[in-house]
This record gives sequence, structure tokens and C-alpha cells, in this order.
Amino acid sequence: MQIIAAIALNTFREVLRDKIIYAFFVFACLISLFGILLGTLSVGQDIRIVEDLGLAAISLIGGIIAVFSGANLVFKELERRTIYLIFSKPVKSWQFILGKYLGLASCLLTIILMMGGFLGALVGFVDPTSPANALTHLPWLALSLALVYLELLFIIASASLFSTFSTPIMSVLFTLCFWLVGHSCASLQDLAKMSTNPAVSKFFAALYWLMPDLQSLTRVRSELMYGRALTTGGGQGELLIYLTTYILAYVIILLVLSALINERRELP
Amino acid sequence: MTEFLVDAPQVVIEAVNLTKDRLSSFLKKRTRVLDGLNLEIYAGQTYGLIGPNGAGKTTTVKLLLGLLRPDEGEAKVLGAPSSERENLAQVGFLPENPYFYSHLTGREFLTFVGKLFSLPDDLIKSRVKSLVEKVSLVDACDKPTGKYSKGMLQRLGIAQALINDPKILFLDEPMSGLDPLGRMDVRRILHELKAEGKTIFFNSHLLPDVGELCDRVGLLVNGKMVADSPVSDIAEGGNFKALEDFFLEHVQAAMHATKDSKPHAEQT
Repeated sequence: MQIIAAIALNTFREVLRDKIIYAFFVFACLISLFGILLGTLSVGQDIRIVEDLGLAAISLIGGIIAVFSGANLVFKELERRTIYLIFSKPVKSWQFILGKYLGLASCLLTIILMMGGFLGALVGFVDPTSPANALTHLPWLALSLALVYLELLFIIASASLFSTFSTPIMSVLFTLCFWLVGHSCASLQDLAKMSTNPAVSKFFAALYWLMPDLQSLTRVRSELMYGRALTTGGGQGELLIYLTTYILAYVIILLVLSALINERRELP
Repeated sequence: MTEFLVDAPQVVIEAVNLTKDRLSSFLKKRTRVLDGLNLEIYAGQTYGLIGPNGAGKTTTVKLLLGLLRPDEGEAKVLGAPSSERENLAQVGFLPENPYFYSHLTGREFLTFVGKLFSLPDDLIKSRVKSLVEKVSLVDACDKPTGKYSKGMLQRLGIAQALINDPKILFLDEPMSGLDPLGRMDVRRILHELKAEGKTIFFNSHLLPDVGELCDRVGLLVNGKMVADSPVSDIAEGGNFKALEDFFLEHVQAAMHATKDSKPHAEQT
């Protein structure tokens, strides 16, 4: 456990001490501020516009950081040859992968909390006359942020997997494709139903079951923000637990694959 | 009758018919990097592996540390196969031209390495304190390693290799690229470690340092061990010239032998 914590802390420090992260943070804050301007153009929808734009900014910036940092997660260690220092110690492959993943995941959590805190303050600022009204938004906002974070956990796991066997550019491309397909799962299902060729239909159906359904996350997030209640069948908590378990299961599978690939690696 | 039991010297590093091929990345052409290496190093010995560039010295160290897997033969450290990572808890390693995490300070880096060995926090703290004194980095240990000079990085590398108080030290070109002052510092540290009874295995092509520090020397040419002899038999009193003559004589003989026979052993 100490080994995993040490590798996680090192990764956390590495990402947070990279100045580019702060540039992204400022950028996300500026986009959120732009929401105030757009809100003034609407009629009585100020808070919703600030929330929507802020969440989109957090999701986008978090995604960029997750994809690029995840794609470099293992490759950077190889390129800089710091991996020799790690694997000449009694460190196992899975400890290394898990430590790197947890380090990046906790770093993203910090960034999301910082950006979320800024957005929360902005919501309070938009409606200063009624702090109680602004406060009612915060639990929904927090829940939506949690879903954004859940998606980022999946993205860094897939980027970590690709970074164990390909260059950062290829890892970024693979991860973006995986992400995009994950968001188009319904289309895969439709293609499977539409196709008259049974082989093609089976292929798309298999692909649908294989790929993560990230669309559900976005759908639930939208329902949280717009409907303020989940219309999908079953209780709200139940669905959130299901989504969390679903994504975490994918994360575990991806991390196990990363560790297996890394285990087979030689360090010439 | 009185029996005198004399302890046989313990073999701590062993290679039996150790062979490694390298595959070129594109055509997958196989090149023999190490060819049937046999080696026995005893506890407390300082062994210098010398040879021209590309002779297979670094490959040997990586095989002994389990960073590479042998194609044939076996490498053992402290009686266990190199693939068993648990044994690395008693081993220290300084890679060639070490690069450390530039975002960490020297102290943070040493603490990180200590945690990779699962050492208790108070022991890490006391070891870091004594090691920064040993390698003369007291004033620099709270600065980021990105600002260290080459000599300072090398000394930090030695400190990290000693954090677990290892029985065996593998040093890959510990003097390479250092100025005379830096070399003097590293030599002093190695003399101290030798006096402490550590087994030291180091690669070098700097013959004066090998002559001064080593008890035994092995000469590797084109992946083959062409000579293995106590330094006292070659160069009495650390005579550098005699060691140089030994080196040149054997390397030239090995080159001629390679040219005369089938040129199967390609230079790497």
C-alpha cells in the first residue's frame, strides 16, 4: 500500500506542479465568467446558463487534462528513463499502474473541486439577492460534477492503457476515439437493428456491449440540470450507484489490462 | 581432533550461460548482445565489468536486475532468479546518466525511493539525513533536482541506491560525464562503501577508476567475456598502464578472432 501511495503522491505532485494545468484552470474560469454575460441576454435563466456553460467548461478542460496527462502517464516514465529507478526496486507492475492512476485521479479531483468551487461561487454571485435560492442549486451541481468526474475516471483509465503500448500522440487519438464511440453507443445499437446482414448486425451489437455507454452519464447529467429529477426508471440513488459501478468496472478492466501489458514489458 | 571450519565465500551474483538477443524494431533482425556469459561474484567483492562501448555491459546489469529477460541461461542475485522482484529489496542500482523527477526536490526524491522499499517513515527520515551528508548534498537537498548539475545528480543517484542499505550495489557507469572533482567525490563514496563490506558491481570504461576500486575485473567484448581476473594479477598497486595494456591486448585479440571466424557476433 505504501508503494502505491508513494507512486500516487509523486504523480499528483508532477501534474499539479506543471504550470500548464493552471492555464487550463484560468481558461475554464473565464468560460464560466462568460456565462454571466450570456445570462444577461436571457430572461430569467441566468443561473441555468452559468451552470450549463460552467459544467461544459469543466467537462471539456477536465477531459483535455485527463486525455493528455493519461496518455503520457507511462510513456513519460519510459522516455525519461525514470522507469528504471522504479522497476529496479521491489515494485510490481500492478502497483505502478494503480499508483500512477490514483495519482492522476486525485489530481483531477482537486482540479474539478477547484473549478466546481469557482462555479458554485459564480452561481451565488448571479443571484445575490436570494442566497437560499442559489444554495438549492448546489447539491444538483455537485451531483453533476460527480458524474463529470466519473467520466474522467474512465478516460484516464483508457488513456493509461493506451500509454502502456503506444506513443502519446497515438494514445491521445485512441482515447479520443474510445471516448467518442462511448458517447455514440445508441447509434451502434441503432446500426445493429437497422442492418439486414446478420453478421454486420451481430458485429455492431457486440461492439455496443463492448464499448462503455458514456451517453447515459451525459443523459443523467442533463436530467439533473434541467429536470432536477431523474425520469429514468428506478430510484435516483439506485441509478447513480448503477452508473458508478458500471464505470468503475470498466476502469478496473482497463487497469488490469494495463498492468498485464506493462508486466510483459522489457526495459532495454 | 580439532576441525577448522572455513566459510566458503558466498556467491551473491551469478550468471550461467546468460544470453540476450536484440530484435531490431522494423525488420525484427536478431542481434546477439550478450553471448553465454558466466559469472560468479562473491560477497564483499568489488567487481568491475569493463569493455568497449556496445560490449553488453549495461545489458548484463539489466539482466541481473530483471529489467530484461534472458533468451537463454539464468541470472541469479542472492541465490534467487533475477525475475523475483522481492530480492530487489536488498539491491541498490544507479542507472547510467540517471534522470530523476525534476519536479521533486532531492529530499522528496529520496523519501519517494525509501517508500518504494516500504521503509518506515522515521527510518526514511534518518537515512535521508545521513545520505545527503554522505554525498555532500546537504545544501542542495531542498532544491528541485531539475536544477542539479551532472555531478550532483550522480551523487543523488548514489544516495537513492543506498536508501535501503543494500547488500549489493549495481552501478552503471557511475563516473561517466563527471569532471575530475565529481569523479573524486564518487570514488570517495565508493571507497567508503567498499570499506563497509558492500558487494559492488560496476560497469565502466574508465580504467584508472576500475584499477583503483576493483578487486576483480571482467572484460566483455562483443557480448562475450574474454577475460576475468583479479586486479592484483593484472596491475600491481593499481597500475593504470598495466590495466590499459590488458584491456587493449584482449580487445584486439577478440576483434581479430571475430574477423577470422564467421562474423556472427555483430557489434551493437
